[in-house]
Amino acid sequence: MRINFRINGKEMSADVPPYKRALDFLRDDLRLMSVKEGCGEGECGACTIIVDGKNIPSCLMLAVELDGKDVWTLEGLVEKGDTIIQDAFIRKGAIQCGFCTPGFIMSVKALLNENPDPTDEEIKEALEGNLCRCTGYLKIVEAVKEAVKMLKIQGGKP
Amino acid sequence: MRFDYVKPRDIVEISKAKKAGGTLFAGGTDVFVKIRNKVMNPHLLVDTKGVETGKIDFDGKFLTIYMNTTYRDLLKSEVVKKHFPLIFKIVKTVGSPQIRNRGTPVGNVGNASPAGDFLLSLYLYEASCVIAPTMREVKISELVKGPGKLDLGEDEFIYALKIPYLQGYEGYFEKVGSRNAMVISIASVGILIKRRENVIEDVRVAFGSVAPTILRSREVEERMRGEKFSQDTFEKIGKEYEKLSKPITDIRASANYRKKLVRNLPLKAYFNFKGEIP
Repeated sequence: MRINFRINGKEMSADVPPYKRALDFLRDDLRLMSVKEGCGEGECGACTIIVDGKNIPSCLMLAVELDGKDVWTLEGLVEKGDTIIQDAFIRKGAIQCGFCTPGFIMSVKALLNENPDPTDEEIKEALEGNLCRCTGYLKIVEAVKEAVKMLKIQGGKP
Repeated sequence: MRFDYVKPRDIVEISKAKKAGGTLFAGGTDVFVKIRNKVMNPHLLVDTKGVETGKIDFDGKFLTIYMNTTYRDLLKSEVVKKHFPLIFKIVKTVGSPQIRNRGTPVGNVGNASPAGDFLLSLYLYEASCVIAPTMREVKISELVKGPGKLDLGEDEFIYALKIPYLQGYEGYFEKVGSRNAMVISIASVGILIKRRENVIEDVRVAFGSVAPTILRSREVEERMRGEKFSQDTFEKIGKEYEKLSKPITDIRASANYRKKLVRNLPLKAYFNFKGEIP
């Protein structure tokens, strides 16, 4: 089936089978390796991408549903130099194995777009759908606060 | 797993696709999990998002939630926050932010899980479902026949949910589970209560995950009307519902533990209503 959509800021047209998941299309066909399969059931958040401004699990979405959408993965943020959140994760050591990190960063991105100055509670709530088995989450929350600080210094612009 | 996909542009087309054996989905947060776990093996998936997306109406009497309206849409609605605070509270506990961005209340009803948190709120409010293509209305408790079972014709599907506006009620909701997000409840309770001074004028109690469908008893509620708003009364409510509950033992908890929760959760609700638990 033919789909037309925007991926990381670029218009794209593709032919996809009706049963292919968005996750498999992005990762296997477009080679966007930041999109990872953890549980495959929407529990872990490792496959989180941003579609029309909202963070969603790409394992519970079909590739055909991307038609007409504005889709972002971590690769897109890096390409356009929007690395404040990523830098904050690295600086605060909010990463160990790194498998969950792209999903976390996309959820943080969706949060800060809507709410540039979240409370600790709001940060935790926004990240409830992302699991990390290494860090214990404290450093992740610290990294988000660091990103908030950096965004303020830069006047909210990435 | 291979299947076809269609995205009809009107209600008649959705109805035809369903009659032809299609499986309807909006957010896919239940359907894709079931396909992956081989609980479901559809040959045709019908994407309902070609019609009525994101609509919420409030006319002073009813809140109407249309198919494809997501949990996120409800949380963004001032009307829901202001006039349906218990629903707002329950929706906040559904899934995770990612799931709430995709999942829909109508889909939750379509799934008819006894653990469906949104389903529980519909039982409490005595909501109706608008059924397409005829737009007939049916009470939620008459629509849901058992786990995953709905009383629908083969060309019928849920078009909207109509929730009556209740004034003067206080609400309570609690879900017992093992993690904040993505908790499929071990047991959950929702209570709506209207009291004057120390007397209960009306009380509605519904439990999730302790019977094949949401558990609510008019009989017990009837008996509690006119009773004192006291620890005694809430202990009675707990005991009555404990008798009525038919929990199972599963991967999340034992039937016995669930029975104990049914007895004790109303008591906890009482202390919350009294403001003794922050």
